[in-house]
Amino acid sequence: MAKESFDKEIQFLRMLVLTSGAYSRQQFAERLGISVHTFDKTIRRLKDIAGTVKQQPAEDHNTAIHNMLRASYYESADPLLLFLFRSKSLKESESYRLSLLIAALQEQSLTPLELLDRCCEGIPEELALPDEKTIRSDLKYLEQAGVIRKLPGGRPSKYTANNDFVSLLSDEELSDLYAFVDVMANTQVPSVQGYLLRDSLKKALKRRQLPDGASDLFLYKYHYHSRILDEAHLYTIMQAIASRRKLSFHYFTPKSNQSYHSKNTNPLFARQSEGRHTEMLPLKVAYDHQYGRWYLLGYGSGRSQIAICRMEGITQLEESGVVSEDEYATRLAALERNTRYSWLVDMGRPVLVKVRFYNPEGAKRNFIKERVQLQGQWGEITEENDTSFLFEITVNGTQEIKPWLRSFGSSCEVLEPAPLRKEFIKEWKELAAYYEPVRKNIQLPHDGTA
Amino acid sequence: MNLFEKIFNYRMMAQLDEHGAIAVTAQERQWLLMMLEHPDATAAIEPDTLIRLRQYLGGSDERADSFQSIIVEKAGSTASTLYHPLLRTLRQLIVNKSGMQLLHTRKDGNPLPLQTGVPYKLEYSMVKREWYLLWYNRRTRSLMTTRLRSIVHVENMPVSGEFFAQAAAVLTNQLEKRMQHATVEIIPAYNKELSRILYAFSCFDKQVHYDELADTYLIKLSFLGDETEYVLSKLRFLGLRVRVTDHPYMKFRMREAAHKSLARYGYSSVLEPAQDNDGIMSAEAE
Repeated sequence: MAKESFDKEIQFLRMLVLTSGAYSRQQFAERLGISVHTFDKTIRRLKDIAGTVKQQPAEDHNTAIHNMLRASYYESADPLLLFLFRSKSLKESESYRLSLLIAALQEQSLTPLELLDRCCEGIPEELALPDEKTIRSDLKYLEQAGVIRKLPGGRPSKYTANNDFVSLLSDEELSDLYAFVDVMANTQVPSVQGYLLRDSLKKALKRRQLPDGASDLFLYKYHYHSRILDEAHLYTIMQAIASRRKLSFHYFTPKSNQSYHSKNTNPLFARQSEGRHTEMLPLKVAYDHQYGRWYLLGYGSGRSQIAICRMEGITQLEESGVVSEDEYATRLAALERNTRYSWLVDMGRPVLVKVRFYNPEGAKRNFIKERVQLQGQWGEITEENDTSFLFEITVNGTQEIKPWLRSFGSSCEVLEPAPLRKEFIKEWKELAAYYEPVRKNIQLPHDGTA
Repeated sequence: MNLFEKIFNYRMMAQLDEHGAIAVTAQERQWLLMMLEHPDATAAIEPDTLIRLRQYLGGSDERADSFQSIIVEKAGSTASTLYHPLLRTLRQLIVNKSGMQLLHTRKDGNPLPLQTGVPYKLEYSMVKREWYLLWYNRRTRSLMTTRLRSIVHVENMPVSGEFFAQAAAVLTNQLEKRMQHATVEIIPAYNKELSRILYAFSCFDKQVHYDELADTYLIKLSFLGDETEYVLSKLRFLGLRVRVTDHPYMKFRMREAAHKSLARYGYSSVLEPAQDNDGIMSAEAE
């Protein structure tokens, strides 16, 4: 069977989340590089999955999908986007069989033949009965996934569900573990495995008739929901790094108008795609908390050398050639050297940035200083008096730190470097013009500076 | 194995549910083991439970290459204590629909008299790295937000189911009333940075409108009143790319920030007073 790619679904959901209802069907399809027909088909499929996962009554299925996805912040911390990872296709007969097997092994151990009997009893009449070979291959899959395990001992071998770490816990311990998993899944990266585990623990609580404290007991403010989608590539990348393999993929830079291109099997309809084919040796993955975005950092082929790709632009990801341990180590050292002073991922020339932060007047606590200490990365406070303090940091280029400094408004004055100071003056002048009571004609800069 | 596995399929999950069965994969156990290494795990889970869990998970699963060695986190806030010691107590109170007696301090550290009320939700701010308790204050009959850090003491105080339901209804109502809306226009010259801008706003409840003729995007944000400062800091963060179009107070604050900043650089100008600032003190950059 051909490898199932989820690129389309990922790009689709990302666009839905980011643009929340901005586009019509045609506009949406056009921007994704797919047909309106494919758009409709995908929407139907996603709604079906989302509806099953959320167990919504049928009449709710008509809700526009972007409304389903809309972050209803004060109702639930459940990431609906998680359903992406539940969309792997599976034949009906297989899903029945696998779930019967897992269910039969919950609190007992059984041999393959005993399991075959259970399956034959449980399978709905309209579906074909499984044979022993099928059951054995199912068991092999489940064992590989770690869902069940083989018990030690002689033949015939016996299997049981691999849930001991849950069943050995008392009610109170299980409840604590559930809360812990909820907090960690929501605050740490990566998170998808945590969310999946949390769903299982919630079921375990339900089985013991314990209140789960509901997934809406904890709220997490300012979550970047789409970060979950980018985790889709993490495992492939991690495996490639571990085996020192290169990755090849089709890359769409974030500035291109299209973010996906259907792989047409019929060459007559093949269109020139805007993406470009890229190969790199993956070295690290960076998560940017400012925007909730992921980056893949690696060593590119050709002139590009150290290469940085936004995860959202990566499609058709595949492993390719192996490199030597020496080469890997050299490239990794070079990357670490080059990104040491990156506010995010910029590898420009290091420059010392000096700014003066002003303490808030008449406030009960110095929230400016608190924020600088919390978010200022490796920067240092060098001088301090009653009204202000000096902050110094060496960064690769000023472009990435600039939005952060600007977010402090008039509580921050850039001292050095001089060009950055000038840029701030220019921008504040233009911003003031944006908000003058009577709007004047505004001349926009075309230099694309941050 | 990757994240797209048959085992996670949605139909299969629904069938497992019917059987009351659970399926946990090796990947999930590895993730849990990794999280149990976090220093704050000890605050969340009893020491002997933690030992048993670590032993079981560490013993039975092959250790995979850790994510921690390949993931670099950038521009995040320094993690202070993630798991506040009071989380467990408060969570139990909320799960049991119990009331509470609460002793906490003001922002400046001065103690307040003992209060009674109903705990409602626990909220974590990813930006401030801080836990908050949302609760119903019995005396003022209003929604309160208190940093867990400021709580000196909390104690269980049984309340009737009726009282609890009443409090919850009041809180839902008050949260709704605090909802504010602001429309942010993306300046069309920056449309090529659309992805970046939308990412920056993706942490808010929002609706986007696109006017094809004018090639202009409008983002309608919905947020709670006390989050206005955070929205403002996001707007300053994005600088020239965006403009608030319909929120007089926020517009005033943006203008004020620009004028005061220019004054820092030696450019003084006359700032007209706000037409509608509701008498709110400005506290920039919170």
